[in-house]
Amino acid sequence: MIFSQLRELGILGINNRIGRYILRHNKRSSYPLVDDKVKTAARAEAWGVPMPENYFAISSFGDLKNFPHQISKLSSFVIKPANGSQGNGIVVISEVIKDESGWITFKRSSGRIMEMDEIRHHISGILSGLYSLSGLPDTAIIQQKIDMHPVFNDYCYGGIPDVRVIVHEGFPVMSMVRLPTKDSDGKANLHQGAIGAGINLKDGTTHHAVIKNQMVEVHPDTGHRLDGLKLPHWQEVLELAARCYDMVGLGYLGVDIVLTPDHGPILLELNARPGLAIQIANVAGLVPRLERVAQEVSKGLTAKERVTFSQTHF
Amino acid sequence: MKKLTPWLVTILILIPAGLITYKTYFLKLSLLPQKVDDVWNYHVSLKPKDAQATSVSFPIPRSGDGLKITDEKIRSKGIDTLVDRNSDSAMLTWLSKEPIVNRVTYSARIDINPVIVKKIEKDFTTVYPKQIKKYLKLPVLTIEEEAAVKLLEGAIFEGGEEKSLVARKAFYYVNEEIQRNIKYKTIVDALNSGKGSPLVKARLYTYLLRRKDVPARIVAMLRLPLINEPPDEKIHLTFANEVFLNNRWIPVDTNRALFGERPDRYLVLHHHFEEIEKTISKKKVLYSIQIDRAVINKFNKAEYRKDILRKGSSIGFLSLYKLSLPVQSIFSTILLIPLGTLVLCLARNIIGVPTFGMFTPILLTLFFKETSLAFGLFFFLAVVAIGCLERYVLDKLFLLAVPRMSIILTLVILLLMIIAFTGLAEVFGASHIGYFPIVIVTSFIERFSIMLTEDGWTNTFKTLLGTLIISILTFALYSFPTLEILMFTNPELLFGIIAILILIGKYKGYRVSEFIRFRDLVSQLKKKAKK
Repeated sequence: MIFSQLRELGILGINNRIGRYILRHNKRSSYPLVDDKVKTAARAEAWGVPMPENYFAISSFGDLKNFPHQISKLSSFVIKPANGSQGNGIVVISEVIKDESGWITFKRSSGRIMEMDEIRHHISGILSGLYSLSGLPDTAIIQQKIDMHPVFNDYCYGGIPDVRVIVHEGFPVMSMVRLPTKDSDGKANLHQGAIGAGINLKDGTTHHAVIKNQMVEVHPDTGHRLDGLKLPHWQEVLELAARCYDMVGLGYLGVDIVLTPDHGPILLELNARPGLAIQIANVAGLVPRLERVAQEVSKGLTAKERVTFSQTHF
Repeated sequence: MKKLTPWLVTILILIPAGLITYKTYFLKLSLLPQKVDDVWNYHVSLKPKDAQATSVSFPIPRSGDGLKITDEKIRSKGIDTLVDRNSDSAMLTWLSKEPIVNRVTYSARIDINPVIVKKIEKDFTTVYPKQIKKYLKLPVLTIEEEAAVKLLEGAIFEGGEEKSLVARKAFYYVNEEIQRNIKYKTIVDALNSGKGSPLVKARLYTYLLRRKDVPARIVAMLRLPLINEPPDEKIHLTFANEVFLNNRWIPVDTNRALFGERPDRYLVLHHHFEEIEKTISKKKVLYSIQIDRAVINKFNKAEYRKDILRKGSSIGFLSLYKLSLPVQSIFSTILLIPLGTLVLCLARNIIGVPTFGMFTPILLTLFFKETSLAFGLFFFLAVVAIGCLERYVLDKLFLLAVPRMSIILTLVILLLMIIAFTGLAEVFGASHIGYFPIVIVTSFIERFSIMLTEDGWTNTFKTLLGTLIISILTFALYSFPTLEILMFTNPELLFGIIAILILIGKYKGYRVSEFIRFRDLVSQLKKKAKK
């Protein structure tokens, strides 16, 4: 059987992920808490989990009238669909440029200039549901742009890297940092060609990296070696991830965290259907870790204790 | 709860299995309507043996008991023809002023059904109508023959039997006591040796009956080849009998042990061989007969429908054959959809083929089926071109989503117009274009364009290819008429399909595509393990 090797190595496949973990551990009724970024933000505020500030939301085409006025007060921002997935529909504006005549243009993190019309068109696309998981009309969120932590200076090409932690029943089981590349258009999305670098849970150091399922050793744009990067605030990152389980109650959860230069780790978004490429980035299968966690679930440990358990065992 | 799935699956499989068993074993319905394969192309060519002869005759099949003749064609090249039909047989005669040198031909399409007389009742008839009397005429026998037949008569009849019993007793004797052997050609030979040719056996049977005042005659017929028999086997005349009991002719065959039955393997050419024996003897006419199965691949749904309605009211009630014909034809197509979902689920969840949307491949397949594969593919590719246009032209205009989709829709209608004007649909063998393409296209183009923007060309075209492969595979599956008719005849199979879908839905193993995706990971892990 061609699959026996995959099984022996404990690699988690899509069907198994859905059938055994997502369907069994993630209650359908809790999905809106993670899929809708407005709801996630409200819940996070109540739990004291730090997230990027939402400046305002645009939920109807009528709201677009006020938009130029509202936006002119900001110096940088991010546009996101509230129900988006895989980083689709996200536009990062690093600078709002006003010339003498008061004409406003926007500079994207990639350096490209966008006109007001283009931005409005993009938002109307979000509103009509172009990027939403269900295809139904959606809300656009105008969010605080987060600055990159200096530790990533040599590891990034445009955009902001984030840390993905897979949390099973509150236990962090595997983690990677996603580094944007030229190919990924500055997005930290593995599908679009961003780098995924596996992290040692014990000390927060990267050890392997992949681009689109293929192992890589150096960053294709900066040429910097991808292993041995030690992430700051590592303990806080894992505890934040573990607490997200208590916050939304999903047993198989992808937690995306950004490291900010001045506020430490903050929660970017949650994902109820995290991808499987993290296994390639870590050169490790998820199945043995998930099964080990299953034995600990009934003990009712706190977030801190769960993190300690994971750091000792994985 | 853990046991729920196996129970459910078992029940879902048992329902169709039970119903089909009930239908085939208890109601004796066939699993499928029988294929219409009892239609034959018959062809005979002949010329007189005597080069100076100006006429030639040959029997031709005639519609009646078990036979339906259509498409009769007589080729005679300026020679007059004359058909002499009596109540059950027909003779075709070619008449010319000049000697007939070239072969003349007759051909027809013949639909043959078996003739079965289930109940043969006692018969005490004493007076027969005029046209039957000729079947009582005793032949002139030699003294030797006369004596032999008389002796035999005394042995098999008690005297005073009613006529159906006479027919049976004679049948048992000739059928069992005289072995078929073409070398023994006279009655005396047959009675002395216990062996006889089919014609002699038929003759003997006729004499025995006529002597007891039972009308009987010799039937000249052709044995048709079986499905797996080589078609070029030479076809000869063979013989059987018919007995007149209770005012109807009943087939009897002492060469093949059949009383009251003539299977559809035998094509009767003439019902009164004695009458034509001399005309068609080898001294008079040279003939060769060809007969082969007409190739038509249709199922006899009408007959099956009658069968179902006759055999069980409850099954008849549940059968789709009860519906009106237009509704039937809709169901025979849409019952294939679940089969398509089966292919789709296998491809997506077990192999891991990417597709646009969930059901786009199946909608595409239905579109292919409605038009044609070539046209469907052409149209699909044209639509892909519109998708690219959207990506590279419409995106630049920054239009709101709904007007943009509406423009695409309008473009599709323009495309349909172009197709209609240029006659492209006919070129690709599509008979008509319905509203259907518009439905598929709306869902498809937008997804395609977004994917092109976000995932790039490579991923989009992989998905495109996946979608096309699945729809072509499904199309191939849909092209088996047997499958379509199987689903239509036994729609309870849908429960079985649900059972398989549950099993696929429960599949937690790897996908074939993951074998490729994790290839690098596997080799790295193995390296790690070695260290």
